[in-house]
This record gives sequence, C-alpha cells and structure tokens, in this order.
Amino acid sequence: MKNSPLTRLLAAAALVLASTLSAAESQLIVAMLPKSKGNAYFVSCKAGADRAARDLGVKLLFDGPTDSNAAKQNEIVENWITLGVDVIAVAAENREGISTALRKARKQGIQVVTYDADAQPDARSFFVNQATPQGIAHTLMDDAARLLNGEGEFAIILATLTAANQREWQQLIEKRWKEKYPKMKLVAVRPCDDLKDKAQSEATALMSAHPNLKLIMAICSPAVPGAAEAVKQAGKTGKVKVIGLGLPSENRRYVKEGVTDTVVLWKTEDLGYLTIEAAVAVAKGTLKPGAKTFPSRKLGAIEIQGDNILLGKPFAFTKENIDQFNF
Amino acid sequence: MLTLLAVFAPAFFQPQPLLSLATREAPTLVVACGMALVIISRQIDISVGSQFSVCGVCAGLLAASGWPLAATLPAAVATGALLGAVNGALIAGLGLPSIVVSLATMVTLRQGLNLARQGQFVNLPDGVQWFGLSQSSGQGLIVGFAVLLLVALALAMRHLAAGRFIHAIGSDAEAARLAGIRPRLGTFLVFVLMGALTGLAAMMNVVQSPQVQPLSGLGLELKVIAAVVVGGVAISGGSGNLWGAFAGLLLLACIGPALTHLRVEAYWEKAIQGAIILLAVVADGIRSRRTGP
Repeated sequence: MKNSPLTRLLAAAALVLASTLSAAESQLIVAMLPKSKGNAYFVSCKAGADRAARDLGVKLLFDGPTDSNAAKQNEIVENWITLGVDVIAVAAENREGISTALRKARKQGIQVVTYDADAQPDARSFFVNQATPQGIAHTLMDDAARLLNGEGEFAIILATLTAANQREWQQLIEKRWKEKYPKMKLVAVRPCDDLKDKAQSEATALMSAHPNLKLIMAICSPAVPGAAEAVKQAGKTGKVKVIGLGLPSENRRYVKEGVTDTVVLWKTEDLGYLTIEAAVAVAKGTLKPGAKTFPSRKLGAIEIQGDNILLGKPFAFTKENIDQFNF
Repeated sequence: MLTLLAVFAPAFFQPQPLLSLATREAPTLVVACGMALVIISRQIDISVGSQFSVCGVCAGLLAASGWPLAATLPAAVATGALLGAVNGALIAGLGLPSIVVSLATMVTLRQGLNLARQGQFVNLPDGVQWFGLSQSSGQGLIVGFAVLLLVALALAMRHLAAGRFIHAIGSDAEAARLAGIRPRLGTFLVFVLMGALTGLAAMMNVVQSPQVQPLSGLGLELKVIAAVVVGGVAISGGSGNLWGAFAGLLLLACIGPALTHLRVEAYWEKAIQGAIILLAVVADGIRSRRTGP
C-alpha cells in the first residue's frame, strides 16, 4: 500500500489520540456507589469524597440507585466493570446480593473497598467502618454521665427489643454504665418501633412514671426528636435531658432550643473522604492487607482492626456546631 | 385496670401526661370511628395506616410549601377521601373482598411513600404546630374535636337513616337491597368516609409536632381494628356501636403507659394487648352463641 499523505495524517492523528488516552488512563478512576444517591446522608458523604478526589488528583464517578434498590446496585457495578474503572467503593444495600458482582470485579483486576455497610469479606479488601458498636455505646453513655455529673436516673428508648444492632448497643451501654457510673440508675428500657410518635408517648409515660428521671437516651434515630417533643410539651426542657443517635437535620430545632443536648453520629463527610483515600491507596498498592494503621491527610493516623478501617469515635452534634451540617 | 392503677401507681393520673396521652390518641379515635362503621357494614380496611401516612406527608409538604392551614386541612381530608374512594370502588364496584383490596392498597401506598420520601422527615414551618395556637389550646382543640366527632357519629348511627342503613347492609345485604337500600353505594360511601376521616386524623397528628415522619401510622390499622373489636363491634358485621369502639381504644391506649407506671417490662405490652383482644373475641363468641339461632 502506498503511503498517501492522507494515511500518514491519519496515522499521526491516531498516535496523538492514543497518547492523550494513555495520559487520561494514568489518572486513577474511583467509582463510588451509595445505597441511594438522593439521600442527604450520602450526598454529604459525596461532598467529602469530592474533596478527597480533588486533593489526590483522581477522577471520581458517583452513581447509585435513586431508591435503595439492591438489584440496581448490581447493574451499576456491572457497568463499571465494563467501563474498566480502577477501584470501586460500595455501601452495600444487600450484603449477599452485591458480593457476587464485586467478586467478578476483583477477578477483572478492579480493586474493591466497602464503606458504611459491608459486603462479604471475600468480596472486598477493606471495609471503611464508620463506627463500632462499642464506640457508639461508650460515646452515648459517657455523654449521659457528663450531663448528669455521674448520678441520677436515666431511661433508654430503642427501636425494638429484638433488633440485633439495638440489642448490642443496649448491652454495651449497660456494661459501660455498670463499670464506670455506679451512681447512675437505668430505670426503664422502652421500644418505639422506629416511630417518632410512639417514642413521644413512651417518653411522656416515662417522665410521669419516674418523676426523678433526669435523662432520656434514644438509640434509634426517630426516637430522638420524639423524646425531645415529649420533654418540650411536658415543660421539662433542661430538667430532663435528651441525647441520642440521629441525624442533625431531624434534631436541629430541638438542639437549638436546648431540649436535646447531644446528637451523636459520625461525620459523613469524613467517611466519604476516608473512603476515597483508602480506595486510592489500595489501588496504588500503598495500603495492603495486614496494615495496622493508615495515614490520612485529613484525619491523621487511622486505626485498622483486621480488615476494618476505623473512622474513629463518633461525632457529637451540639448547639455550637449543628448548623454546619445539613444531612 | 384503672382501679389497679389508682392503687399501685397514682402518678398515672397527672393532668399533663393524661392530656398529652389524650392528644396523642385523638387522631386514633377518629380513625377508630371510621373503622367501626366499616366493620359494622361487614367490611374491613387494613390500608388506613398507609393512608394516614400518605395524607400526613401530603399535608406536611403542602404546609411546608407555604399553603395556609385552612387550605391544607381540606386537602388532607380530600386526599384521604380519594384513597378511600379507590378502595370503595374496587370493593363495592367490582365486588372484590375488602381484606384483599385493602391489603394491596396498604402495601402499594406504603412502598410508594418509602420510594418517594426515603424515610426523610418533612420539616414544617413555624405556626403549623398547634394550628399556631398555644400548646394547651391546641391540645384542647384536638381532643375536643375528636370527642365531638365521636358523639356526632354515634348519634348519627343511631338516629339517622344513613346509620341504620349501614347496620342493615352489615347484617344482611340482600335483605337491605330488597328493603330499598343500595348496599353497593352504601359500602362505597362508607369507604370514602373512612378515607376522609383518616385524612382528618392525619392532619390532627401533623399539627402536633414540628415535623412529619413518613413512617407515622405504621401499624395503625391493627390498633384501631383491635379497639373496635375489643369494644364489642362484631367482626362479622351488623352489630356494635361507636361508644364500644371508644371504650376499646381507651383500654388499649392506656396499657402502654400503665405498664410503664407499674414497672412492667416492655416485653409484656404486646402480649397483654393480644390477650385482651382474644378475650373480647371469645366474649363475643359466647354472647352470640347464647343469643344466636
């Protein structure tokens, strides 16, 4: 074949194109999958992830189901496998369901980490664990003791008496209480079925049945505003304190009014940031199984337990800082 | 049970917690009134919990987008009536069994709402809680209105032709038809009324706090059906009255707080509720065997 000017031109163009492509490939592509992409919780995770991606100079793809849909999560992972991303970070809606797709990704040489909600251990290299049950229990109990100066009656409102995570938290809270705060007294544990209205009724009954009650600890998220509304309606703001595990947005009003003292959760932005950092480190091979710590640019030295990267102690939202958080 | 409480836990009878309890249960009473009519007409509606949530979230979103309460309230009632009309059309129009139809609408509405809201609360603007009144006037208004509605409906059931029609449809639809009543239209209207009352109740619940949880109303159907049955309304239709439903609700609503006062573990609450329902049904069975054919 004769080398016409046109062919030469085409060849040159192809060469240029190829070199730009490989330049683009040298930028790591991190794909992040939330349980649901419209949810305020994950939107705020993404804000942290975006910052990490900027700081580390990687490309971030963020996609997820609009509702919490396990099948849709699988579909998105399959697409990313076809696309050939470098590393996938997943908050699993369904532990078993997503694991098959993730194993397939790993076979194709794509690194996988999980965050927020874990998949099967063999389907990912690390899980970025936002809070251990112990961390949650200790933070809540210590905060209760701080507010009551270590003595007085308190009660717990939880979702149900049978939910595994609720039972575990309750037991760890009681353990901490017995070990460290003998002058405090747990007078009742009441379930609210995850209903704010029922939590309010329970809190009302608790206050009248236990006139010396000083604090209500709500360990499922709807119970925190429910208990706060009960305290407010009873005119006991400040006399009966409310603390709990929940979202800042659902409790802002009560925290600012001084009804609720502390809402405990983790900083979702930090969770997003750390997840991307860990994902990039795994993809670059700087974070390997067996590591005991991980240096985060933003959060300092992060502890690793087994294959769990621990975000650290939960964060306490109070009157002073709650306006900075919008999830 | 109230005597038992008076002896062992006199603290139960303090005005503030009791008013609060009454306010919390007022919307339930309104739904229970509707449910009594549905059951007397020999039907059932297990979708009221989901209807309650949908109406509550709709009312909350309207109020949050700046609608005045005077417009939000009718909108909530209309939403409920519309949902009730769907049930009614399928049940009365196509002659489908009400338990199946309302089971389907219960699940559909609940899942639809979950999809739309993802559990996120609706934050209401200031001035919605207690209709913008003080807390005590708001509570008084809600409780007073629920009681007034109960009395009005109970009297209507006894003295108005429409009330007797509902009884007639429930005891023997064919005889009612021969007597010149249109049972299908009657049944349809009962479901519309059920929905409208549920919408009203949802609104009465929305104004009690500064935010709406989309999950609120979950399990409401069980509570009101239990109250109605415990109150002596025969599940087989045709007999019973609203006073009974009121008494049934009073009993069931007091159990939770009473157990807290008596320091009984929460594990027992649902077991005791179940036992009371069983007792009521057994009593009903014995009574109808005595008076039956």
